[in-house]
Amino acid sequence: MLLEARGIVKTFGSFHAVDGADLTLAENELIGLIGPNGAGKSTFFNCLAGEARPTLGKIRFRGADVTALSSAAHAGLGLARTFQVPIVFEGMSVRENVMVGAFLRHPARRRAEEKADEVLEFTGLAAQADMLATALGTAGRKRLGIARALATEPILLLLDEALAGLTSAEMEGAIALVERIHARGITLVVVEHIMEVIHRLTRRVLVFNQGRVIAEGTPAEVTHIPAVIEAYLGRRAQGSPESRAP
Amino acid sequence: MRASLRRVLIAIAILLAIAPVLTQDAFYQRIAALVVLAAISASAWNVIGGYAGQVSFGHSVYFGIGGYAALLAFTKLGLPPIAGAPLGILASFVLSAIVGLPSFRLRGHYFSMATIAIAALAGLLVTNWGYAGGAIGLMGPATPRSPADLLFRSPLPYYAIFLVVLAILLVLTWWMERSRMGFYLRAIGSGERAAASLGVPIRRYKLYALFISGAFTALAGSLYAVMIGFIDPDSGFGILVSVNMVVMAALGGAGTLFGPLVGAIILVPLEETTNALLGGGGTGAAYVAYGVIIMLIARFSPGGLAQFLPRIAARKSPRAA
Amino acid sequence: MILLQLAADGLLLGAVYALFSSGLTLIWGMMNVINFAHGDFVMLAMYVAFFAFTLLKIGPIFFVPLAAMALFGLGVLVYVALVRHVMRGPMLAQILSTFGLALFLRYAALWAFSANFVSLPDNLVGGVYQLGGIRLSASHLLAGGTALVLTLGMHLVLTRTDLGSRMLAVSEDRVAASLVGIRAERMQALAWGLGAAATGVAGGLIVLFFYVSPEVGNAFTLLAFVTVCLGGFGSVPGALIAGLLIGVIESFSAYWLGPATKDVVVFALFVVLLWVRPQGLLGRA
Ligand SMILES: Nc1ncnc2c1ncn2[C@@H]1O[C@H](COP(=O)(O)OP(=O)(O)OP(=O)(O)O)[C@@H](O)[C@H]1O
Ligand SMILES: [Mg+2]
Repeated sequence: MLLEARGIVKTFGSFHAVDGADLTLAENELIGLIGPNGAGKSTFFNCLAGEARPTLGKIRFRGADVTALSSAAHAGLGLARTFQVPIVFEGMSVRENVMVGAFLRHPARRRAEEKADEVLEFTGLAAQADMLATALGTAGRKRLGIARALATEPILLLLDEALAGLTSAEMEGAIALVERIHARGITLVVVEHIMEVIHRLTRRVLVFNQGRVIAEGTPAEVTHIPAVIEAYLGRRAQGSPESRAP
Repeated sequence: MRASLRRVLIAIAILLAIAPVLTQDAFYQRIAALVVLAAISASAWNVIGGYAGQVSFGHSVYFGIGGYAALLAFTKLGLPPIAGAPLGILASFVLSAIVGLPSFRLRGHYFSMATIAIAALAGLLVTNWGYAGGAIGLMGPATPRSPADLLFRSPLPYYAIFLVVLAILLVLTWWMERSRMGFYLRAIGSGERAAASLGVPIRRYKLYALFISGAFTALAGSLYAVMIGFIDPDSGFGILVSVNMVVMAALGGAGTLFGPLVGAIILVPLEETTNALLGGGGTGAAYVAYGVIIMLIARFSPGGLAQFLPRIAARKSPRAA
Repeated sequence: MILLQLAADGLLLGAVYALFSSGLTLIWGMMNVINFAHGDFVMLAMYVAFFAFTLLKIGPIFFVPLAAMALFGLGVLVYVALVRHVMRGPMLAQILSTFGLALFLRYAALWAFSANFVSLPDNLVGGVYQLGGIRLSASHLLAGGTALVLTLGMHLVLTRTDLGSRMLAVSEDRVAASLVGIRAERMQALAWGLGAAATGVAGGLIVLFFYVSPEVGNAFTLLAFVTVCLGGFGSVPGALIAGLLIGVIESFSAYWLGPATKDVVVFALFVVLLWVRPQGLLGRA
């Protein structure tokens, strides 16, 4: 197993954002993580990536217990992630942004620059390499987030809504990029809201609701599971008693 | 945009070349020395406050430690004041480790609030520390006992000494800017979450930056005490000492190699001439102006004057869409 | 008995700290910006009150509201002209903006009013009350009582009125609040106005028994920081409790360590608090 997360709980005060979630990943898998807004997907990612310490539960990455390790240590071990709302380093060019990631494995500037250029080529950002990163639009920023993470040469990459807010043309490009990353042998977990993307990219998908995994299977299977339909519909019928029930 | 080492050396060479031109008038010589001294402490502040984006309002603590180390070495041990400089630097490392580390958990406004409080605390403690002269402060040697006392009638030797230190600091900063450390510091400054996710050990790099920053600020404090021959809680630990570093770095461009030097070149002569013209009331006037300058920078140009340079450069180079 | 006396003095002064600190916490809660000039606002209010008394010959019943109104105007002005433009900008700009303002106010005051300490006549609000062996001066009682009532009033306005709920909506989600027709800008300007008015009243009250000089603001800024930190950033009731506590701590440390070092305890408390529990002792995790 590449990654094994057991019984992850993350509370904010008395609120359980993640409430006993499990996830196991094999090498070179590409799985989807879906669920209504506020289901706890991003919080779960934060736990997996070491940004938030889980209140309860254990995470093993390549056999080692990483539950208490920092975000930076996770990156060192080969677990990278992107953010739902992209954070670019202001005042730095696109290339320099990617170099920050590349420095993790290549302390020498020359090598880091070469690595960054390779990643920029791979992610299709080479033409924008010398632009200020803040000049990029949403699609560019999301792509830069992926490029930066790739520059750390990860084994596992967590993508948090890397395709949300893109036009359909940009989306095609992004789907192709994710497939190329996967073809390089990198394991991926993608959080997405758009079912069509999930259908095209993944063969296994986990459905999150109220901090738990409520269903698992192929994209076609999960869309027919009553609990899943209810989770999505229940959101719309907010306030009705059944939507509040655990 | 990135300054080359050659540019650093040229800037230093120009500063050196100015010196003989100024030899006529001691007033200008003194200002020139003070410009370089201010540039040292502002450039030192810039490492943590500019590059790493941790806005410290408490760097006077390091300056004061350096100044007091120099004059304590003289008054208590009978050593030449400059012999206290290494002790001041050593103390700055200890302070960085003890006080800096826990403060690094704090981000943004919280960090700045902590630095103000720490500086106020240090000022109070020194004022009540009888051994170090309390509120009265410490004096340096009145007449030179040996050349090592570095007591010169002309400001020019000080100018030269300060320039050597500034050159060392700028070359170090130049080297840092191009290396992994510079990238990591800038990444920390603009987004800690993202930096950490890319494997940047945030606290370690902040500490490295503070070590460099604190040590050179302490050295600037020692040099100040050597030249002026006097230090008291206000001139060592006062909030205005920190203000000077912040305003000069911010005016020239925080997080740029030459920004603090440019800021010092503009502001120190301004302050010294208003002081000379207005007498005692001058200090107040200069700081009214500093307040306005800081507000204007924050409001219109957070990158300082340097912000206008890349805009021009950008217009020249064609960009891919 | 001396302990009771110290506690009583501390509580009365602490109520005034609570009042101006609740202004700082209100501003922070609304837009996550720290006003580094907060203590200098208090200083300015003290001068307004002082000159209102010496030049216009009006007493506290008039000069306290006058100081409040003047500072309300200043707060709105600072928001509109400065803070509004930097609050979503780089962190450096956010932090520098009010720090520059603090410098400007402090040294403009130094220039205009000189560094001399001035104070109102002792007997302006004269009289001392004995209460079971504790001596309470009328000026402290008036200041503490007014501050307590107004801080509670501010809490009630924020929690019980329509205006308060609109401000709360903006502080929780600016965009969502705009969608339901709340003018976020206006609410934030109002927060700066009210936050500064709190320093206005507090300054008008402190000047009854405390000297003014251009540099008093620095200590007040730090007192407001520690109060807000102890009470939890953004919480008015937290600031009230914390302010009273800080007043008492200060009063005791002044007694045991001497007035020159009393602030050492408070400042050190602040730094340690930030290190161990930046969300505040009384704040939510
Ligand atoms: N730092 C925090 N403090 C308090 N509550 C939080 C915090 N972070 C997240 N939450 C809450 O936890 C819940 C889960 O949030 P999360 O962002 O993980 O959901 P999500 O599944 O990623 O939703 P979305 O699809 O909208 O991105 C939400 O109700 C959110 O308000
Ligand atoms: Mg999310």
